[in-house]
Amino acid sequence: MMKSFLKMALLSTALLMPAVAQAQEVVTWWDFLGGGDGVRMKALLEKFNAEHAGKIEIQATTLEWGTPFYTKVQTSAAIGEGPDVMTYHLSRLPLGVSSGALSEITTDELTAAGLSGADFAESNWKAAQVDGKQYAVPFDIHSVVLYYNKDKLAAAGLIGDNGLPTGLDGVDNFKAALQKLKDGGSEYGISIHSAAGDSQWRIFYSLLGQQDGQFLDADGNFLSGDNLDKAVKATSVVADWVKDGLAPAATEYPASIALFTGGKAPLHINGVWEVPTMTDLSAKGELGFEWGAIALPTFFDHPATWADSHAFAIPNRVGNEVSAEKRAAVLQVIAWMNKNSLAWADAGHIPAYSPVRDSEEFKTKQPNATYSILADTAVFDPSSVLAGVASPVYDAAGNYLMPAVNGEIDPQSAMEQMRDDLQGQVE
Amino acid sequence: MSAAATATDVPLPARKKRFNRNEVLAALIFVLPFVVVYAVLFIYPTLQMIWLSFHKAPLIGPGTFIGFDNYVKLFKDKLFGVAFWNTVYFVLLTVVPATLTALAIAVGVNRLKGWMQSLILACFFIPYILPVSVVFRVWGWMFDSQFGILQPLIALVAGDNVPVFRTLPLFMPTVAFITVWWTIGFNILLFIAGLRNISPEIYEAAALDGTSKWRQFTRITWPLIWPVTVLVLTIQLIAQFKIFDQVYLFGNGGRSDATMGLVQLIYRSAFQKNNGGYGATVAVVLFLIIVVFSVLQFQMLRARGEK
Repeated sequence: MMKSFLKMALLSTALLMPAVAQAQEVVTWWDFLGGGDGVRMKALLEKFNAEHAGKIEIQATTLEWGTPFYTKVQTSAAIGEGPDVMTYHLSRLPLGVSSGALSEITTDELTAAGLSGADFAESNWKAAQVDGKQYAVPFDIHSVVLYYNKDKLAAAGLIGDNGLPTGLDGVDNFKAALQKLKDGGSEYGISIHSAAGDSQWRIFYSLLGQQDGQFLDADGNFLSGDNLDKAVKATSVVADWVKDGLAPAATEYPASIALFTGGKAPLHINGVWEVPTMTDLSAKGELGFEWGAIALPTFFDHPATWADSHAFAIPNRVGNEVSAEKRAAVLQVIAWMNKNSLAWADAGHIPAYSPVRDSEEFKTKQPNATYSILADTAVFDPSSVLAGVASPVYDAAGNYLMPAVNGEIDPQSAMEQMRDDLQGQVE
Repeated sequence: MSAAATATDVPLPARKKRFNRNEVLAALIFVLPFVVVYAVLFIYPTLQMIWLSFHKAPLIGPGTFIGFDNYVKLFKDKLFGVAFWNTVYFVLLTVVPATLTALAIAVGVNRLKGWMQSLILACFFIPYILPVSVVFRVWGWMFDSQFGILQPLIALVAGDNVPVFRTLPLFMPTVAFITVWWTIGFNILLFIAGLRNISPEIYEAAALDGTSKWRQFTRITWPLIWPVTVLVLTIQLIAQFKIFDQVYLFGNGGRSDATMGLVQLIYRSAFQKNNGGYGATVAVVLFLIIVVFSVLQFQMLRARGEK
């Protein structure tokens, strides 16, 4: 009796399903975009919901960036209570897959949503795979750039005929430029977020990449061979700025931005995600100077900049799998976001979706177009469960790199300790 | 109430038995909700945690049994040593200072009358209701190495701005100070409740005998408030052994290996590095440390108080 009743109930639910799906799919969305770029994302989400009224509705929640976000994703995936789609750093993908938090996305699903690997830069697309399986779809490439105060640079003769900064390439040249800017009456030559490992890691990894240094080699060894010397060189560059008072020591994130926007430091290295901050301040007339952003200068052999990618991933939902209709809706969301990612470029990022990146609109978008070269010179974090956002590598950067930059540990011994610490964590 | 009433109403033969069936049933019904909740939310997870500590396991999901390997690893782990001493250091910096300061403030506040007393008490209590993230933002901003409003004062003493949370020797004392400022309100309340329980007649008698204020404090107030002091010390000890939030927030991005406490080591092992077995091992050891310390402290202090 009970069984047949249950069957009837299941059958009727199954019959009702398509009708429900046609009515409206609600897609639960989690992201960690709490800064200036979060405002841009909200606009995109609203546009999506307006265009898909009655079909798909995204219900979005913004959570705390970094370890808290990824911890919540992992625990919720294990009990099937996670979102339907979420933003994810590609650098964090190996750890996410190894902890079973991510669901594989098949080629069929991608094709059905009108997406294919050919629409993305090859290295970017591959970074979204683990063991040849696709676990995410890239959304952007983001990196660090050099923000500059055009008025101060012009006064110091550091603006070229094309209106862009000049004479900044090379370690000694750059330092001389900083000295010139400081002598010109600025409190610091350059402002950096020197109180934390993550920001220092991004600069360090760029400088290491400019020397073709490998942080983690193919055999799984950290800073092997002459990579250690290159790492020491990279660390010393920034440590020298701080030692000579050209860059502020142990400065927190908001203060490092305020030093630049307040006119106390004419240069500032930070992520492209702060472009909206500058744009908005400038639009309100509160900046007080003309600003711009360029790719990091070439300090060593060739251009290279640390980069990461925001991507979309679908979490595993153990014991609470979603319907095929919902998964199709999720992939539609991912595809739509990529096809509309020109608006995301307003947040400073470079769209991962090639048709948008190659479009005329993007090529004329400033300041992105000026630094879009870094999509080609990007060096991504090593692919390892120990690397990526909020990983042991980031912690090690706080423990060794950050104090080295601030002159508490000598760069040589800092890099040796960092190497030994991370090597000791390999299992 | 009803159980007691039944006990007196029953006839004599039944009362000879140690327990009356109705009585036992009623008692069971009354304690059952608590026992169930306690067993499900505390006993079961604790046993699971101990069991997990003998496994090499991820944060979630099954693992492989490895016996005491995690414990062997723990005692060789340099980070465990650092985390242990940091925790003990933090406990030393906070427990006794927070208790004594709270007592001093409570004695002072207790002498005030009417709305003045309420106002001053509220001032001391307000920080306690703030969430830790707000405390972090407020003090982070005040101590900011570039723009902090405390930096001109610091520069007067040190000669230059000091990044307090990025200077290792200053880190723990500063965080301990902030913690005392933040949590002292609750201790003050406990002490005031204790002080109000002391009968004014004792003080009147002492005043008639011409005792000095100091003697009144050492001979009357202090002995009579001692049970509350033991309570405050024990609550503080347990709370500060579990230090995490403030140290994590202020140390985030910095030299966290040098500033972390035991709970942070659990967090890093289990949540960040997905090593649930090892995280559970640290948790078990911390659990034992707290049990030993709080039982020891409570017994020692109570013994002294009973003399």
